[in-house]
Amino acid sequence: MPQARKQHAGSRRKAGRSAAAKPRAKVAITLRLDPDRVARLQAIAEAENRSLTNYVETALLRDLSRREEAERVITMYVAPGVSDSISPEDVVRAEGESEEDYAARQALAVELWSIPDNA
Amino acid sequence: MRPGTFVRVLFPTREKPRAPGLLHIGYVLIFAARQQEVIVAYTTSQPWARDVPLPAGARLFDTREAASLNQSRPFLLRMDLLARLPATSRWFPDLDAYNRAVIATASPALQSELTHLAVNIGRWHRELLEMRGP
Repeated sequence: MPQARKQHAGSRRKAGRSAAAKPRAKVAITLRLDPDRVARLQAIAEAENRSLTNYVETALLRDLSRREEAERVITMYVAPGVSDSISPEDVVRAEGESEEDYAARQALAVELWSIPDNA
Repeated sequence: MRPGTFVRVLFPTREKPRAPGLLHIGYVLIFAARQQEVIVAYTTSQPWARDVPLPAGARLFDTREAASLNQSRPFLLRMDLLARLPATSRWFPDLDAYNRAVIATASPALQSELTHLAVNIGRWHRELLEMRGP
């Protein structure tokens, strides 16, 4: 029994190594669509200079990333080299902005500057 | 760069999140004068998928509102999708032009509405982090 466990653990390690070394193989799926829709998708794919398969995959990936984004509250992209903190007095006031809104935006700026790059 | 303006920005993409991305119109939420850095909110005129719920930070501008902001199509502003960028022409390609990349300026009422939207999103973000950790 211990030997069997060892073998199992060994094969798992091997599988882990090969998984890290090369990307996981894609899984083929069968998709059935109305011919009219296929024709429309084909036309879009051609206009974007893609194969129909690549277009469909891209559209699905876009949909997935939109869903992931929707599950997060704030997605923050941070350019390399920008500062990681800010003082409220650094915040430029907008034209015609009320005291209350300006104070809210100053506090918000400090908070937003603390959000790391999570994109 | 002035807060409350809509500007042309090369908003980063998911594929290349640290590099200037595709040309979009962004809303300048914060401009930090000393750092010369901006927090800009993403906008898009691409239709949103019907079966995907809108994010909490989304604000839809219909054709009429879009036209009043010098934009030809309805668009979606995403206060939940932000970028912290240097105010340079690398990220804002029209920054050196006469209009300093500004497409339109939101009215004080709209600016106030968007500030409140951002404050609420910021609060939800903080509460979520407190509940489940970063």
